[in-house]
Amino acid sequence: MNKQEFLTQLRQGLAGLPQADIEDHIFFYNEMIDDRIEEGIPEELAVKEIGTVDEVIEQIIAETPLTKLVKEKVTPKRSLQTWEIVLLIVGSPIWLSLLIALFAVVLSVYVTLWAVIVALWSVVLAFGAAAMACLAASMILAVSGQPLTGLVVLGAALFCTGMTIFTYFGCLAATKGIVWLTKKFAYWIKSLFVGKENNNEQNS
Amino acid sequence: MDIQLKRGLLDVCVLAAIKDADSYGYQIIKDMKPYIEISESTLYTILKRLETAQMLTVRTAEHNGRLRKYYHITDAGLKRIEDFKQEWSEVMSIYRFVTKEDEQ
Repeated sequence: MNKQEFLTQLRQGLAGLPQADIEDHIFFYNEMIDDRIEEGIPEELAVKEIGTVDEVIEQIIAETPLTKLVKEKVTPKRSLQTWEIVLLIVGSPIWLSLLIALFAVVLSVYVTLWAVIVALWSVVLAFGAAAMACLAASMILAVSGQPLTGLVVLGAALFCTGMTIFTYFGCLAATKGIVWLTKKFAYWIKSLFVGKENNNEQNS
Repeated sequence: MDIQLKRGLLDVCVLAAIKDADSYGYQIIKDMKPYIEISESTLYTILKRLETAQMLTVRTAEHNGRLRKYYHITDAGLKRIEDFKQEWSEVMSIYRFVTKEDEQ
């Protein structure tokens, strides 16, 4: 890929960001590639050293606040006509409720993911508490003349201890996975606002 | 290196790279390379953040018939470096505490 192809793809991928921001990114990567070429690195290699366009776009989107992306999307490119304003107000029961519904869905997905984490850790905690309770019970049983029952309860205590350790590592992995998932989800939400405009232009 | 730790260090490293003389993107990456690896997109974010925090200023100048952005450290940027040195002496004393048992 040469420099021009890289910059064109970058520009397309960033459509949806404020225009000034796009120009700023293009200027930066253009300079980076030019400086490498000036040092004697072949153009294709200079572009390769920057990384793939997708990686660059992904990082830019990840670091752009969602509010900025939404603002750019909803700010009209020209001033609104009177009839458009009237239509916006009249239609507000529809679009406003749809917007609220969208945010409710996004929020509920987040809450659900974190609820899973809370539930999993509750299991770990429950096993831990059961282990300690069984241990205490087995001691009481042992000294109160029921050593056999005590032994059985001691076995249960050991089982619960084992399960505590076992589920702890499972939960740790699950938590990490869910945190990763929420990051991916946030990226997906943001990517809805970026790169769309250009696709529409190509389609139409 | 731990990602959180690296993130904190990168800001100061970029400031250090422009401390003695104004510098530009590719030069900053090259100067930092022997000590800490940094990607273009990460550098971009850091430069923006430091500019917003008024720790550096940007000027565009011509170079070989094209434009290049040069970064200049401000007093606030120099202070950030001094603060870092101060903080780091505390970190070093914690390091000595952590590694104390290894020596015995």
